[in-house]
Amino acid sequence: MDMSVVYNNAPLLWYGVLYTLYYTLITVTGGLVLGLVVGLIQFSRYKALVFLGWLFVEFFRNIPLLVILLWTYYALPIFLNINIDKGIAGFLALTCYGAAFYAEILRAGIQSIDVGQSDAAVALGMSYGQRMRRIILPQAFRRMIPPLVGQSIMQMKNTSLLSTITVPDLLYQAGYISSFTYKPMEVYTAVGILFLIMLVPLTVLSRMLERRQSAVK
Amino acid sequence: MNADQARTILELEGIHLSFGRKEILRGVDLKVREGEVVVLIGASGSGKTSLLRCINLLNTPRSGRIAINSEPIFEAGPTDNGISKVAPTEVNRIRAKTGMVFQQFNLFPHMTILENIMEGPVIVKRETPSEVETRARALLDQMGLADHASKKPAQLSGGQQQRVAIARALAMRPTLMLFDEPTSALDPELVGEVLKAMVELARSGMTMVVVTHELGFAFEIANRIVFLDGGVVVADGSPQQLLLHPDHPRLKGFVNRFHETADMLRPFLEAK
Repeated sequence: MDMSVVYNNAPLLWYGVLYTLYYTLITVTGGLVLGLVVGLIQFSRYKALVFLGWLFVEFFRNIPLLVILLWTYYALPIFLNINIDKGIAGFLALTCYGAAFYAEILRAGIQSIDVGQSDAAVALGMSYGQRMRRIILPQAFRRMIPPLVGQSIMQMKNTSLLSTITVPDLLYQAGYISSFTYKPMEVYTAVGILFLIMLVPLTVLSRMLERRQSAVK
Repeated sequence: MNADQARTILELEGIHLSFGRKEILRGVDLKVREGEVVVLIGASGSGKTSLLRCINLLNTPRSGRIAINSEPIFEAGPTDNGISKVAPTEVNRIRAKTGMVFQQFNLFPHMTILENIMEGPVIVKRETPSEVETRARALLDQMGLADHASKKPAQLSGGQQQRVAIARALAMRPTLMLFDEPTSALDPELVGEVLKAMVELARSGMTMVVVTHELGFAFEIANRIVFLDGGVVVADGSPQQLLLHPDHPRLKGFVNRFHETADMLRPFLEAK
């Protein structure tokens, strides 16, 4: 193994790492916000909203991310007859895909809270918003932290698919470097290690949160 | 106090309730006056818990009229499909005047005992937290739980949790307290402390509607007992009348099934 190709092209890889982190950050944030909306409307008293939420989740959950990504980048512009930048396409696809899973985590988290909690809040005269904010969501979020962290880790790994639509993330840079150095073994090994360095602390954190939560209850 | 002269706190008229196709209540009328302690009894499935949950609209009737302190909280005709004339904000406002104690306590596990009690007055009634805290601590003291203010519900026994639940309801300064089988989930040795708290509350003049299986307790605490069967009120009268001289065949059957309870009644009877 000749790791010098990695050192020699460190700036390119670093650039790729920044792109990967950037897309992780914006698509996790976007996914959480959208997922919160999609998850919450499934508890609406309006049947149409409930159906819409269900449709969103099933749609994005059951199409492979790679298909969603390629479709958003190559097919959606033709459908809408507009130009969609690869960054925007990547953001949209990953955000919607992540949101579907976040919404499911949220829905399951809320449903796991005993109906007695809602009964007690209602009996105190709380409005729907007060009930959610003060009683249901604080308890649900606590239970949701481990799966949310898990899903966010998936989200970071999924950003590597962005390389297929030429967003210069870590994997894209690795492909580029190996195309002119002919050292795929070293380069892709480095990519794997870099992902480990970024993600292992997160999984450790998730474990710690999980342990703290089980200690509380 | 002459019960006929006291003002009406709770009024139920023609309450019909269904879950899907299943009819639970078929036209219940009930009036509760200030200071009265009304105990609802009946076999499981008779609709007594469903009726209690209608009072603060945890269950929404299909039709009927419910008023608390002469303020309607629900009003729907037979053809209204359960759509009430009363606005939701109004419902929440009137609900805040009733306190409810549940079989499973339903304390908020993510809050301390003190926070549990302060939650309603501070969040719903927007009272000043410092004033509410003083009142909450006094209630805890009254329930004999002053030392547990900063604990979480999970650290307390069932009996203690239920007394916190009573304090949480009282912190809202309710005009009416609803109890849904408050001792059914408790270990036998913890039942007494909760019943004692309820007896004290009744003696202080609180208007109460209680669903319970403890006929001995019902006998001691109730001014009035209401027997439900098949979703209607079958008998309504004093504890002596209903439990010692039941005249309705269904009620007779129900009371006789509690032979042991009847034995338990004897000492109370002799004391009176």
